[in-house]
Amino acid sequence: MMEIAAVGSEDFVLGFRLAGIRNIYAANSEILEETIRNVMANKKIGIIVIHAGEIKHLPQGLRARMLESIHPVFITIGGEEDELREKVKRAIGVDLYKSG
Amino acid sequence: MAVRDVKPTRSELLGVKKKIAISRSGHKLLKMKRDGLILEFFNILDSAREMRDTLAKQYAAAQESIAIASAVEGSFSVKSASFALTKHPEIELESRNLMGVVVPQIRANSIKTPVDERGYGLIGTSPYINDAAKAYEELVESIIRAAEIETSMKKLLDEIEKTKRRVNALEFKVTPELQEAERFIELRLEEMERENTFRLKRIKDKGERNDHK
Repeated sequence: MMEIAAVGSEDFVLGFRLAGIRNIYAANSEILEETIRNVMANKKIGIIVIHAGEIKHLPQGLRARMLESIHPVFITIGGEEDELREKVKRAIGVDLYKSG
Repeated sequence: MAVRDVKPTRSELLGVKKKIAISRSGHKLLKMKRDGLILEFFNILDSAREMRDTLAKQYAAAQESIAIASAVEGSFSVKSASFALTKHPEIELESRNLMGVVVPQIRANSIKTPVDERGYGLIGTSPYINDAAKAYEELVESIIRAAEIETSMKKLLDEIEKTKRRVNALEFKVTPELQEAERFIELRLEEMERENTFRLKRIKDKGERNDHK
């Protein structure tokens, strides 16, 4: 049995708390990196929800790890998801998201 | 395998020929796997794109409803309602095999909760908070579906990339080198054959000359 976690600013995570999610990590941009590392280490968390705008400031290495990570899965909402698009472009050779 | 490492012997030639046959059949198989994976990927891609759109829409709607709830009720009461919840969504990860790629299958329970089971008192809170909670519950449901689809996509893409690299390595590196080795051995063997014939002729000539004397 695994749980969902939400990481982000106070405003962002409030709604998820209202939806019943227990693992809420309110973090400002200064401690965001550390928080993400901690949450990733938590084996009980299966999905991590995070705002797309906030991960832009994270170091490249961590972002790459977040994208590759399967346990837990990172889902970014509220913005363009460039990384998956980039990956599709690299693997298939065509930008399949263009028309969409 | 560089050409200079090859010993020009008949058994080596047989070995190289066998290797070429294996790498050809492997190349064919891997190519089929790559095509199959790409096909599978396209099947998922449409649903992933749709998922992204719904996710964006639902997130916008959820944000709006929680903004209204905070504006009407004050963010403090929204927060207190959120702390009163008793039910928490849980997910279960299972795996599914898709052309040799293990992709997760996520099952979730108790995301949507009836209003009276949410845990906060109905009298103390306004319908705005209920609306916000409902919107976010829907959003979480989509997030779970998106998690499944996007993880499958990531894994498939990884596998496609890996298979593509293997196909290309076999096609442009392994097979050509083996063929070069094969050619080298054949040429060397022919050359040795000619040398041998020539040597035999010389010996024969010498023998004949000796007989004349």
